[in-house]
This record gives sequence, C-alpha cells and structure tokens, in this order.
Amino acid sequence: MSVSAHGVATVAAQEFRLRIRAGRWQWLLAIWFVVLFLFTGLIWLSLRQPIGIEGERGTPMFGALMLFVLALALLVVPALTAQSVNGDRERGTLATLQVTLLTPADIALGKLAAAWGTALVFLALSLPLVAWCVVEGGVTLSRLAVTLTVVSLLLGVVCAIAQALSAVLARSTTSAVLSYLAVFALTIGTLIVFGLAATLSTETVTRRERVPVFDPNGATITGYTDEEYTTTEPRTERIWWLLAPNPFVVLADAAPQLPPRRDPVTGLEATQSDVDVLGAIGLVVRDLRSPPEDRGEGPLIDKRGAAVWPFGLAADLALGAAALAITTRRLRTPSRRLPRGIRIA
Amino acid sequence: MTGADQLSAALNDPANGVVARGVRRRFGPVEALRGVDLTARCGEVTALVGPNGAGKTTLLLVLATLLVPDAGDVRVAGHDPLTRPAEVRSRMGWSPDVFGMYDNLTAREYVEFFAAAYRVPSAHRADRARELLALVQLDSFADRPVHVLSRGQKQRLALTRVLVHQPAVLLLDEPAAGLDPRSRVDLRDLLRRLAREGAAVLVSSHILTDLEEVADRVVFIDRGMTVGEHNLAELPRAQRRVWRVRALDLPALLAALDAHSYPHGDPTPAGVDIELASEEEVVALIAGLVGDGVPVVSCAPVGGALEAAYLELTEEHQ
Repeated sequence: MSVSAHGVATVAAQEFRLRIRAGRWQWLLAIWFVVLFLFTGLIWLSLRQPIGIEGERGTPMFGALMLFVLALALLVVPALTAQSVNGDRERGTLATLQVTLLTPADIALGKLAAAWGTALVFLALSLPLVAWCVVEGGVTLSRLAVTLTVVSLLLGVVCAIAQALSAVLARSTTSAVLSYLAVFALTIGTLIVFGLAATLSTETVTRRERVPVFDPNGATITGYTDEEYTTTEPRTERIWWLLAPNPFVVLADAAPQLPPRRDPVTGLEATQSDVDVLGAIGLVVRDLRSPPEDRGEGPLIDKRGAAVWPFGLAADLALGAAALAITTRRLRTPSRRLPRGIRIA
Repeated sequence: MTGADQLSAALNDPANGVVARGVRRRFGPVEALRGVDLTARCGEVTALVGPNGAGKTTLLLVLATLLVPDAGDVRVAGHDPLTRPAEVRSRMGWSPDVFGMYDNLTAREYVEFFAAAYRVPSAHRADRARELLALVQLDSFADRPVHVLSRGQKQRLALTRVLVHQPAVLLLDEPAAGLDPRSRVDLRDLLRRLAREGAAVLVSSHILTDLEEVADRVVFIDRGMTVGEHNLAELPRAQRRVWRVRALDLPALLAALDAHSYPHGDPTPAGVDIELASEEEVVALIAGLVGDGVPVVSCAPVGGALEAAYLELTEEHQ
C-alpha cells in the first residue's frame, strides 16, 4: 500500500492540531510535571539520608525516574490513542478523509505520528528532571541516550497497539479498555506468565559435585570424590523470553553498564548494583537467561550474561509494526464489511 | 448489439459520469441493493429519488469508492471504484447525508486541509479556499471556528470540501437538508452551473420541488431496485392529479364548479383544489369556467410533476 511523505505530514499536522485544540492540555501537562517533580524530589531527599548507599546519587535517581516515567506514560498513552480511528468514525469524519487522495497508510501513519508525538511531549517534560539527575552525577551520556531512546520507542509501540484496537473495534470505550488490558498484559501479564512457567519448568536434576574425603579423624583431606545428589531447579534459561517483551525489562537491560566503581576504602572494584536500579534489574534477567550451571553465586558482578533486551525490544517493535499493518488494513476502502452498528460516514 | 456489447458501451462511454448496472449489496440478512441501474451523464444533473431505506445512501457509498458491491458493474468518471479507487477519487466529490466536521478548525483551515488531502499544490490552497468560501457565501466566516456555524452553513462548508479538487463527478446525498430557502436556491444555481461546466451531478433528495427545478433526469429507486429512469421533460404524466384553481371572484368560481358538478375541497386563500383524471379534463374545466365568465387567475397542478410521479410510483409498490 502506497504511502507518501505529503500524505503522512498532512494527516499528522491535522491530528496534532485537533488534539491541541480539543483538550485542556496545559492542566494535564502541568499535573504530569508536578507528579514527576515530587517523585524525583522524594528520591533525592531519601538518598540524602545516611542509609549506607555508596556512589553517586544521580545513578539511582535517574534509574528510578525513568522507570517511573515509563510506568506513568503507559497509563497516559492508551488514553491518548484509543479513539484515534473509531472516534473519527463516531464523529463521522473518517469517511470524508478516506475518499480523498490520502491512502490508508497515510492516514494510519499520520495518526500514529500525532499520537506518538503527543506521548513524546510528555516524555520531553521529564527532561528538566533528567538534567537534575545528571547534575547529581553518575549518569553516563550513553546511558542517557539509550534509555531515552528506548522509552520513546516503547511509547510508540503502545500508541500503535492502542491505535490498532481503535481501528478494529467499533466503540471507543471498548478500545480504550482493551488498550489498558494490552498494557497490563505487557507489564504484569509477562511477569505472571513467566512466574507460572518457571514453576512448570522446574526439573529434578542429578548433579555431581566434587567433595573432599576426610581422614577418619576428620582433620585432613585425603583426597576427593565425586558425589551425586539430586536437586530441583527452575530451568528459566528455556523461558526467559517470556519476560523479554516487558517494557521495564527492556528499559532496564538496555541501559548500558556503568563503569566499575572503586571502593574508596579497599581500593577494590565494588558492585554498583545496590544503587543502580536499572543495572540490577538487567543483571537479574540476564541471570535468568543463563543455565543454572553458569549462574553466578554471591555477587553477580562478574557474571553479566547475554543480553535480554534486544529480543524484547525486537518483539515489541514487531508488535507495533503488526498493529500498524492492522490499522492500515482496516482503513482500506472500498471495504467489504462495516463495523457493526456504525454508519460508514 | 448484444446485451454484453450494450453494457460495455455504456460503461465505456465518456459522456457518462456515473454508470451502474445490476449493483447488488447485502448487509447480513438485509438486501440493501437488489440490482440498481443508473446513468448520470456529464453536463447533467441527475436526481436519485426513492423512499427512506430504498438504498440511495448504500448506492452512493458504492459509487464513492467506500463499499464493495456484491455484484454489478460500476464506473465513476470512467474508472471502476473497486479496482481504481484513486483514479475515481481524484475526479469525484462525495458528500454523505450525515457527516462530522472538525469543530475546532476555522472554516478556512477546513478547506485548506482538504485541499492538501486532495493534493492541491500548496501555493494554490489559500486562493482555492478563499474562492470556495466566497462561492458558498461563507467568506465572512473564514476565520470563525466551524462549531459556531449553523447546520445550513455547515452544509455549505461541506460543499467546499466536495469541490476543492474540481471534480468531474459530484455525488451529493441530501445536500439540501437543513438549508434555508435562500441557500436552497443558491445550491440549485450552483449545481446547474457545475453541470453547465461539464460535471456529472448526482443528487439524492427528499425535497422534490427543488429537484424538479434543478434536475435534467431522475432515477427512481425503491427497495434496492431501479424502478424508473426518465428525462424530467418526459416524465410519465400522472393521470389523476389535484389541480388548484384561483379566481378573482371566489363565490362565482364555487358556483360555476357546483354548476358543472366538479367535486372540490373547501376554498383556501391559495385557491380551490379539484381532482381531475386527465389533462383533457383540465382543458375542459378551464374552457368551462372561462365560458361561464369566471375571472380565472390560475389553474396549476398541486405539487410538481416529479412529486406526482413519485407518489404514483410509491403507491404502486405499496
């Protein structure tokens, strides 16, 4: 299906203009900023308490802020997009658009661009607070760039999903509810499914372990022997991918590792994971991806396994692309069917 | 010529702006179109007339590249809406019976948006908007938001959307709904002008007196089928019609009517209504009245010829 820059830009500009004029944006954006500001401020205050957290305050502040921004945006974005297509149908403005020279792909992409653009306005409002985190130190440029990019992409995916639901379902209330269910499925749903699958994946395995043989007095080791024992363990390396599309997992694992920190007392390399929220989540999911034999014991610092986020992000982007394709298909005319109860005009 | 040759000749005749042959469309159990034939020629206004639920709107959706018919052949501006919708869209303007506007835009922005959507070059959009708003007499509302416009003004603004890309075929579903008498006259003149400039104009409406003054041809459809396709000048003369006679001297008129034993209704300020079986009877009536010295001012059919034909038609089918 053909698409043109002119068509997409025409639709996007129109949609964006209609969105701006329709609502009381200044209030919504103001509330959004105040909530983010309060959250960041509270984190900042709590990190000033002497609770034994080492390292620069910017690292935990930034991690917590980005996770919070993502969580809040996942609540706001479906509402922004869930009536993008069926709302136009209900208002009787879609058909007049479809008989112009705009193609279905022009309309779908243009509307998506406007919705995504709106979501990015919300993200942009968090930038002053991000700057605060950077000032506090401990946020590398690469982490900043990657994290913001990943959040932007994830918001685009959610927009695309909500838009497809609005193209498939006749009523905008139904599509709004289902958009929230889709976000729930991606965030909480992946956790639940992973948890259940982890239980099911549990295997009883026989392992050999080299154990020392002591002399009869129990004082000296005379040699070693292989001893067999059975144990049960979840084989999460087979099911880690269930967790991969979770937006929080993608965000956390994609954040580039921070440079190792020297313990000021011992001069040794110290782990960042007690202050680095993003890094810690990343380590946990990478650990889940490794077979039990390879899993780190004790400090996880040396065992940074294979990355999970490329799979998760790819899956999410594929989901978004599929959603866009569905929207385009549903906008194609002449059409064979009409959504039940909806006049085509 | 065989039937197939005739069909292909009609479909490919460049003088035909709209051709539909045997169009069928079913919505679940409801057969909305059961074989509609229609031709709307370039340079003519064609009226699409039929009772509510006859399938007029469904037919216009098929013609407007929005709905796939189950069967039948369709050409709009020389192209098949099913296989070449883009070609049809660039030459066709459609206005649905019920539609929404972008309430938060100004009238000017509304026209300019659709100009962009129809790929009018950006340098011409402002001029085109000014021109069209002047055409529908909304120039003084150019910078007012659409939601302050009245229903009739919105109808007129919608016309600018239909005309913005200078289409060769116009499909208008109830364009006169909500228009005041002045605007209806303007609409009539506009449609006539567009037809004179070569456009094929297809209008559905319930306001038959309006259609009668604007249409060259009329297509009657009922229950999803074409039941008549006529030039307006050659409308089959309805046999029984009501005629209204007015005279300067009402008592003399009533006395003459009673003398000739014409059954008639009670006199109104507009005149006295008499039902007559044929035009010959009308001639005889006038001759009789004039012969009796009644000062007759006028004797005219009540309702237009179109209305009479429509009423007769729907009566037959009931």
